[in-house]
Amino acid sequence: MPRKPSKKISANSDAAGDAVGSRSCATENCGAGVSPASFQHVITGGDYDSGGDGAKRIKDVLKKIGVDPQLIRKTMVAAYEAEMNVVIHAQKGMMKVAIDPAQVDVAVIDEGPGIPDIDLAMKEGYSTAPPAARELGFGAGLGLPNIKKNSDRFSVQSVPGQGTRLRFTILLQPQQTAGPARNSVQIDAAKCRQCLRCVHACPTLAVRVQSGRPRVLDHLCIDCTSCLAACDSAAIAMPSQPNVPAHTAKTVLVIPGSFLEQFGPGVSPGQVVGALRDAGFTDIRLLDEWENALREAVAAYARDEALAKPVFSPACPAIINLIQVRFPSLLAHLAPFLTPAEAAREEITAPHVVWAAPCPAQCTLLRAPSLLTKIDLVDPLALRQKAFEHIGVHARQPRSLPRPAGPRQTLQVSGIRHVINVLEAVENTRVNDYTLIELYACDQGCFGAPVWIEDPFVAQPRFEWARQVHPILVANGRAGAVRRVEPLAPRAGMRLDSDMRAAMQKLAQIDQLTRTLPGRDCSVCGAPSCAALAEDVVLGRATPDSCIYRSRPPQPPASNP
Amino acid sequence: MGITLSQIAEKLGAQIIEGKRGGKRQINRVYAGDRVSDLLNQASDTTLIVTNLANSSVVRLIELMDVPGICLLNGVQPGPELVQAAKDHDAPIIISTGDMFQTCAKLHQIMETERAPQTI
Repeated sequence: MPRKPSKKISANSDAAGDAVGSRSCATENCGAGVSPASFQHVITGGDYDSGGDGAKRIKDVLKKIGVDPQLIRKTMVAAYEAEMNVVIHAQKGMMKVAIDPAQVDVAVIDEGPGIPDIDLAMKEGYSTAPPAARELGFGAGLGLPNIKKNSDRFSVQSVPGQGTRLRFTILLQPQQTAGPARNSVQIDAAKCRQCLRCVHACPTLAVRVQSGRPRVLDHLCIDCTSCLAACDSAAIAMPSQPNVPAHTAKTVLVIPGSFLEQFGPGVSPGQVVGALRDAGFTDIRLLDEWENALREAVAAYARDEALAKPVFSPACPAIINLIQVRFPSLLAHLAPFLTPAEAAREEITAPHVVWAAPCPAQCTLLRAPSLLTKIDLVDPLALRQKAFEHIGVHARQPRSLPRPAGPRQTLQVSGIRHVINVLEAVENTRVNDYTLIELYACDQGCFGAPVWIEDPFVAQPRFEWARQVHPILVANGRAGAVRRVEPLAPRAGMRLDSDMRAAMQKLAQIDQLTRTLPGRDCSVCGAPSCAALAEDVVLGRATPDSCIYRSRPPQPPASNP
Repeated sequence: MGITLSQIAEKLGAQIIEGKRGGKRQINRVYAGDRVSDLLNQASDTTLIVTNLANSSVVRLIELMDVPGICLLNGVQPGPELVQAAKDHDAPIIISTGDMFQTCAKLHQIMETERAPQTI
């Protein structure tokens, strides 16, 4: 993730912080190790003469740092269209720009009427521009499509009556188009005791312990929490900072609702929020805001009768990975929205965000490079410790038992094993009685992240109860669901070879080799099963000799002398 | 390959408001349209833009997209802002007396002749 490595070390970081600094992702994907040029530009609605000034400022910077003219061209089309959108439709707006040698990152936020139907607005030719704009040659209905076409990453979210937020990135260096990191499972081989639990726990058979070193096969890893949960020796970890980073009044703190239920039954979520405020976090955002917004949007989306049923809500990024890797035939069932963490990441443009991500999948989404916002991933337990230090001063409020839940309209499935069972049942068309399913890799959603202390089945209902009482937990309409712009593509994780003929041959070899192995699935070789070892051998990841039964075949019975 | 704006203006019989360095910039291609989004998408530093728009959006087209020149239509005279932008960014403006269709027909002929192999 982001830049400014010089400023990465916070005032809170002591020597211990530095020692484990290599685990942090703060220096990854770093454009070129320089501070980005950044500025904000105010846009005035209806001022057609000044519209374009912001784009001009971007151009001046790009020319000064010697950016390729074609990339300047793309940036100008996107920036000018975005700026004129505000001039034409809104009262006022703000353009936030950050530029480094690797990318141009732009957010355009307006206080305008909003876009009631983004799908429609993304269609070429659709426009609601007033006559004044049309006389000047605008209003062709090509603005948003033009921005998308000319940028490498694009998102738009809008709340009717409040305004529109648009973000786009133009990559200035081709090597970055490979995309952000695919997973955030970090391994410290020195701590591994070779118990092989992770090898057995992985739902996609992506973990190997070979030559005494654990390894994750990136193309199979879906960034779920199974190996983390299985590991007792802390050899597998997330890329979070071990200390709460230094923060100012402008820092935004993002926490999952599950965080607030990690303090036992005696401490209410309201008290935790109060403690975090006392600790200096004045702007606290609950990820549940976006989760609720997504839930509403997906429920409305699922009412479309023409859609493949059941619809899956894209609430959990690891499940999206799972479906891409293992259930590509079900991709059409996924509602086309960004996950809540992605939606939050798109919406928040504050320069500094501290984010208590409870799982590697969320960490991965937040490591997608953005220049406008520096996101510090903090170890949720370090933040919990911080909150604990401030909780003592808050009077404890009595709490009663949660109310019984009403009838469920949506099937919620959590826990990767259950999710896989359900997806298999759906693939075999054995689930036809639900119209909408929300799938989470962890038990009870993010409450089941293994980082937490409270059992998710205890914490989650408590939180449900508390949200009816505490104002911070009540939906306030500030968060919006974000339509996914790029369709999801199947991932080739399960494929043996990109060439189908070669894959068939490899499949035959694997079958043949599997039959020669003992079939005990002992994992002594470091693969989760004999079949997995056979696959590893055929794909060149291991040798047949790794099987102790093969390298030391039983001696033939000695003949009697 | 390519033709300068001065040559185009001369062949069109059109008035030319020159930039700092005169009408020397090379034109390889012509694009005509009245929608800003189309013009943005088609603009390049060797594309002559033909348009009825003679306003601030054309000023931006010159400033942001580095177009080599603008051809206005129906004898419409550019405002002072546009003239200034043309001078500052060396993007001459030619003013055709014909309408879009007539002007494009002539420009097409000029560009085709330019492309045709020279014969004795």
